[in-house]
Amino acid sequence: MECVVQGIIETQHVEALEILLQGLCGVHRERLRIHEICLKSGPNLGIVSSEVRLLCDIEQPEPTWTVRHVGGSMRGAGAEQISVLIRTVVESKASKNVLRLFYALGYKLDHELLKVGFAFHFHRGAQITVTVSSVNKMLKLHATDDAVPVTPGIQLVEVTAPATSENYTEVVAAVSSFCEYLAPLLHLSKPGISTGVVPTAAAAAASLMSDGGGTTL
Amino acid sequence: MPIKWVLHWQPNAGTTASGQIVNEVTQCVEGMNGVKDGRWKATLTFYKPMLRDQALLVEFPRDFLGISLPEQPNKYYFIIRGQRLVLEADSTILTIMDKLQSYKSRVSLNFEGFQYQLGDFQLRVGKVSPTHSETLRGIVMEVEYLPISSMEKSRQMMEDFLEIWQDAVSKRSLPGHFMHIEPNFADFGLGDQYTSQHTAVQYAIVVAQVIATVQAGQAVRN
Repeated sequence: MECVVQGIIETQHVEALEILLQGLCGVHRERLRIHEICLKSGPNLGIVSSEVRLLCDIEQPEPTWTVRHVGGSMRGAGAEQISVLIRTVVESKASKNVLRLFYALGYKLDHELLKVGFAFHFHRGAQITVTVSSVNKMLKLHATDDAVPVTPGIQLVEVTAPATSENYTEVVAAVSSFCEYLAPLLHLSKPGISTGVVPTAAAAAASLMSDGGGTTL
Repeated sequence: MPIKWVLHWQPNAGTTASGQIVNEVTQCVEGMNGVKDGRWKATLTFYKPMLRDQALLVEFPRDFLGISLPEQPNKYYFIIRGQRLVLEADSTILTIMDKLQSYKSRVSLNFEGFQYQLGDFQLRVGKVSPTHSETLRGIVMEVEYLPISSMEKSRQMMEDFLEIWQDAVSKRSLPGHFMHIEPNFADFGLGDQYTSQHTAVQYAIVVAQVIATVQAGQAVRN
């Protein structure tokens, strides 16, 4: 399982967000360059249709592949009251011919994306990962060198933390409290519930840029 | 990692593999001063697609199989032999396949037995039987040469060892012999340096032989 929230930020404020994250996490950012291939089962395969994502980390000298399955999210009155989405996620690292295998099994390409940006991994009540990336689409099949932004001028921010059925309430609390620190720059909510950019972003970014993140927001 | 050859028992025409042959082979290893070094087990599973229309079965691979190996307990291997495709993944891939609900297990075979240390060689003799059944379907033997990981550099050493081995086994006048079929690893995109993917491919070849032998035996009896 993982806890996740998402938000968006204007590209002009990303540098300020990075300064803030650097100050909050105390770790260095990692560059991110992920080629994400979304596959769907062919029309006749499976009792119900299924979807799987192949993530190729092309930031590494030797690209690495991960198979990722995102399952259903937690439902019910309790789940609706919390501001963080809890969903099942299973990942498996795989060798480089994984796309060929899924094609051979009858899966078809649905869409592909290139996410370029950076990530912070740190521990703050939970093992939290923050990614800030520009989401790009390819004009030609697999042409990652030839990608254009899906939403120019806007970047995606995602905060995730692994959780189990035993500890998710603590993880949700840790993620929620971390998100509050970012509130002046962006608002984070459950995926699919977009709340847009925040009006205080420009002023907060200007303040961060002028003193390098020393001010407590 | 050390190179390994996986051999299968090829029974003489009209005979089948039996527990008695496994015992004799085991005694043979012990007679060569092999030191028993615990149990081992590998499991191979054939998968079939879950289809809404069974008439479309021909459009999907018939020889899609998965294998778990004791040498890499946290990994799982998928092979589609007809397409010369081998994949290594974390064993969590099994949970993903389960959630996808697109393929399910058709039949699983266990390869299990004892392993032995014999100088620089490690030998594993194993019975092949369907899971949840004691029926012996075949016999396999792994010969691993610990100091070398290059297929080419170890070839002479392996051939010499097998010659000595076949000599020792032949003294017992068993109704068959161990056979080594070397796959063309390059077809699977594998190089000279031995990996567990090489082992997975060898098992895919061996299991095909074991099944062919069982089927041939049944044809003779019928």
